[in-house]
Amino acid sequence: MAIRDTLLANLSTSLSGGNVTISNELPFEAGGVRLYDKNMKKLYLSYDNTGIIEMFSTLNYADDVFQKEITLNAYFTVDAKNQPSDIDTVVSKVLNSRLSVANCHIRECTVVSETNDDRITYTFEYRFLTL
Amino acid sequence: MAYIAVNDTANFVRLDINASGTFASANAAMAQTANVVTVPGLQDVTVSASPGTFRWQQLDSLSEYVTTTPSTNEISLTLVLDDTSFYTGANGTPGIFTITNNKTLTYFRLYWAGASTGDRYIEGSGYLTGLAPTVNPGSPVWTAPLTISVSGDFVSGVR
Repeated sequence: MAIRDTLLANLSTSLSGGNVTISNELPFEAGGVRLYDKNMKKLYLSYDNTGIIEMFSTLNYADDVFQKEITLNAYFTVDAKNQPSDIDTVVSKVLNSRLSVANCHIRECTVVSETNDDRITYTFEYRFLTL
Repeated sequence: MAYIAVNDTANFVRLDINASGTFASANAAMAQTANVVTVPGLQDVTVSASPGTFRWQQLDSLSEYVTTTPSTNEISLTLVLDDTSFYTGANGTPGIFTITNNKTLTYFRLYWAGASTGDRYIEGSGYLTGLAPTVNPGSPVWTAPLTISVSGDFVSGVR
């Protein structure tokens, strides 16, 4: 089961009833317009990006220890002038959704916001490390 | 000048230990291949063969004199712990933790670069010391430094 599925399930529950909802669609662009710009107050989650990185190098390489790094991005856009009243709660819930993923020794999530014209886009970057 | 590279399969560093009993020599212990364990997961190895020195000064000389005292020989290494070699051992040689705990005399042979016919090694006997397994949340795999405190000389040889 992809980590995206776990996060989607968690966010579907935690964001229900709030001003920002969640979409099952991937955050693709259509006609040069990003989906989360077109459909404001809807959170889109990318698919898992996976990489294998070395944790310990050993002298015979066969015993090297590797860890798997999985990153995902989530996006949503809101009106910059009149942000939803529960924006802090929504951001907090999206950040905390990282804790729903089990069996990872690193579970991180950072958020940056970017204002363009009258819109503010929140971009979340999840990072998970597992053996 | 040729350097000693250990970065391909034929030239890997290899450390074999035998703590299955007392042997007449390290060579005899290593010949008992059924009792030898190859230590896996070596991260680094340092061989120290350091003669001690005694210095003195004389009133008729502008410089010190020096003579040697017996060497301190040891092999220090760091390894990723493997459950077989750490806990249970194999081939009649106990696990590294048990060897350390019981202070069992251990014969070793360290191949510098490759372990095929004609490859060079040093061997000897000693005690496993300095075992200090460590782990942390960011690197959740046990690793440990380990020292073989060598009793007597290193013996150099060719397989």
